[in-house]
Amino acid sequence: MTFVLENDVIDFDPMLSRAFVDRNAHYQIYDSLVRVDPSGKIIPWLAEKWDLSPDGKKMTFTLRQGVKYQDGTPFDADSVKWNIDRYRNTDGSARKGELAPVASVDVVDPSTVAFTLSTPFSPLLSLLVDRAGMMVSRAVAESAGQDFTRKAFKAGTGPFVLTEAVKDDHMTFEKNPDWWGTDASGGKLPLLDKIIIRPVLDSNVRLTNLKTGDAQFANNIAPKDVAGVKTDSTLSYKEVPGYSFGSLTTNRSPGFIFNEARYVKAVSMAIDRQELLDKAFFGIGVVAYGAVAPGHFSYDPNFKPYEKADPDGAKALVDQVGKGPLSFELLVSSGDPATLQQAQLIQAQLRRASIDAQLVQLEFAEILKQQSDHVFKGMSFIGWSGRIDPDGNTYDFNYTGRPNNDGQYSNPDVDKLLDEQRQSSDTNERTTALRKAEQIYVVDDPSRPWFRFGVAQQCTTTNVQGLAPYPDQIPRFQNAALAK
Amino acid sequence: MTRYIVRRVLLMIPVAVLVTIINFGLLRLAPGDPVLAYAGEVRDPEILNEMWHQLGLDQPLPVQYLAWLQHTVQGDFGRSIRTHEEVSEAIFGRLPATLELTMTAFLFSISMGLLVGIISALHRNSALDLLATSLTIAGVSIPNFFLGLMLILLFSLVLRIFPPGGYTPAIDNPVDNLRRIVLPALTLSAATLAVNMRQVRSSLLEVFGQDYIRTARAKGMNEQRVVVIHALKNALIPVITIVGLQVGALIEGAVITEQIFSWPGVGKLVVDSIFGRDYPVVQAVVLLSAMSYMLATLLVDIAYGWLDPRISYAGGR
Repeated sequence: MTFVLENDVIDFDPMLSRAFVDRNAHYQIYDSLVRVDPSGKIIPWLAEKWDLSPDGKKMTFTLRQGVKYQDGTPFDADSVKWNIDRYRNTDGSARKGELAPVASVDVVDPSTVAFTLSTPFSPLLSLLVDRAGMMVSRAVAESAGQDFTRKAFKAGTGPFVLTEAVKDDHMTFEKNPDWWGTDASGGKLPLLDKIIIRPVLDSNVRLTNLKTGDAQFANNIAPKDVAGVKTDSTLSYKEVPGYSFGSLTTNRSPGFIFNEARYVKAVSMAIDRQELLDKAFFGIGVVAYGAVAPGHFSYDPNFKPYEKADPDGAKALVDQVGKGPLSFELLVSSGDPATLQQAQLIQAQLRRASIDAQLVQLEFAEILKQQSDHVFKGMSFIGWSGRIDPDGNTYDFNYTGRPNNDGQYSNPDVDKLLDEQRQSSDTNERTTALRKAEQIYVVDDPSRPWFRFGVAQQCTTTNVQGLAPYPDQIPRFQNAALAK
Repeated sequence: MTRYIVRRVLLMIPVAVLVTIINFGLLRLAPGDPVLAYAGEVRDPEILNEMWHQLGLDQPLPVQYLAWLQHTVQGDFGRSIRTHEEVSEAIFGRLPATLELTMTAFLFSISMGLLVGIISALHRNSALDLLATSLTIAGVSIPNFFLGLMLILLFSLVLRIFPPGGYTPAIDNPVDNLRRIVLPALTLSAATLAVNMRQVRSSLLEVFGQDYIRTARAKGMNEQRVVVIHALKNALIPVITIVGLQVGALIEGAVITEQIFSWPGVGKLVVDSIFGRDYPVVQAVVLLSAMSYMLATLLVDIAYGWLDPRISYAGGR
């Protein structure tokens, strides 16, 4: 089976990985302590069960026994400790931030390991689903050294073994015959002998590869092509709501236009989200008002503060500020015509409210720099790939001084509520706090306008069986098979 | 001649150093930050600072440059910030694929350019000439990315003759290697082929008007000899100049062509490295392409002397 992926994998080492595409390889090679099912619910994986102490500061995992890494070394509590400590303590580790609340990892016995937290941290399990919870063979990582991230051969316990990686060309994953997982009726997995992942940058060419039979699985189909794919009898298309969002990052720092909250609200009121979704995204996705996505437990389908665009209300709000017409710079990453069209439609919608958005196209690297220095003048058109736990979509974007809070938004009530939901392990309590916070950072004192949630797509040839799309957009191939 | 060549080769060294200084400065002036670009969605300042320090980007610029120069002179280009590969491995590992593609396109554009150019010149204003001229204009005008997509659409999707991109090394499977190179090579050669063909045609026509051609014909020499031996050799001088400059154009074109056809060459590496502000890779690539450009012009100058013995160089007695 050949999978055409939108770009080349950079880091096979989960510790260093920063890019979404990398995870498409990780999920084949490595197992994590826990995983999610297609509905987004956390399920046992390398950890068979877990238990949180009453004060919320100690999480004890009971590990699956008899699991071996692909190089033959055993997976046990020592191995978990080594992995988590490596993620927490290595200079330049990209997992440091995610695991910051973990104060220590202790081996209780060979199949029991305890995480001690400095403060209760309810999103921890959701982070252990992904790279921060992926288990790597110490022997392989240490012997490969600096090259490990490019040559992670026999490094995981997962269903497939990476056997070849040629940069910008292809990666080969072969069946791990000793994988521990079984299907619902106890049959051995994985079913496929081999997966080849090929990076193909152009979405038209990815689709052509499926149509000609050169590949059987593609990710990230452009919204404009979805209608055509659905009517093609040789292809099968499935989608589920994802966790990703599209928003206009807004500079709320003192001295910048949008330090005035009413201006942010005016822009949010003037955007016609349904029209944007229908015209610029060809109806693919879900209208968004805030950061919490339909796949999250705390999503509120009745939260529709800007359901109808209100250009007159926006105009009135700008007048109320009393500093003349609103005009600002909207940064758009250059090189992608679809993104530019989306921004142009927003520009046209704002014009109906007499708001003037000047589109400025810059290289992505430059926009990122301006955002991280908090010096972009108005708003910036950049999305977020989304996280399993709603905390990953809200906290770092709206909490005072956090890394992804590029607009330097700061509201003490939001901070308090976001801390509350982190410390509570009760889903109802968390939902209440997250929704209260959302009302503030979306409506009362808006940090930025949100407009769309993405979908997780799965496009295959019709002979591919056993695959289901996951809301995180990463395919799991252990159950997949090719019909003859 | 030897002295001339030695002098030219020696002159390359200061030029190369100058190129690296300018390139180093330009890269640092470009807005953006390699660590931020690489870090993507990871934004913790603590992690970013550690990476800055690890890469030595917190040192003063002249120190960074001298350190780079010192390593480069010893043949060590460092490691890529973005992919952690050794830069030399990253470049030379991908170079065979790029060379195969550019050389195929290059040979195709020269041979077809000569052939069609000569035919067009001999049958000026015929239907054939007109057709060739129109195709030429199309070849120059259609951008690579569009032509590439159209060729994939026609030959891969509709006719199903060639695969839509991808690469197989010739050692693994020579037939598949050839099947996969046709569309990208055609795409890449379109623009230069057109220019070569026009140049051969017009320069041949000019030579045909010269006295010595008339003399040759008056002597009763057969037409084939007149064209190939007398006319063509002289007509080739301006063509060679252009072909030399095309090496650069082909490398530029390969950047886009490789992306469309998922060809694992240097082109995609260059684009990703520039957008990712991957300083070590960009510096090495610019240095190497400057060197190959200088080498190409030297070869062109040597070819002049061979084609027209009247051209000689100082010190070249």
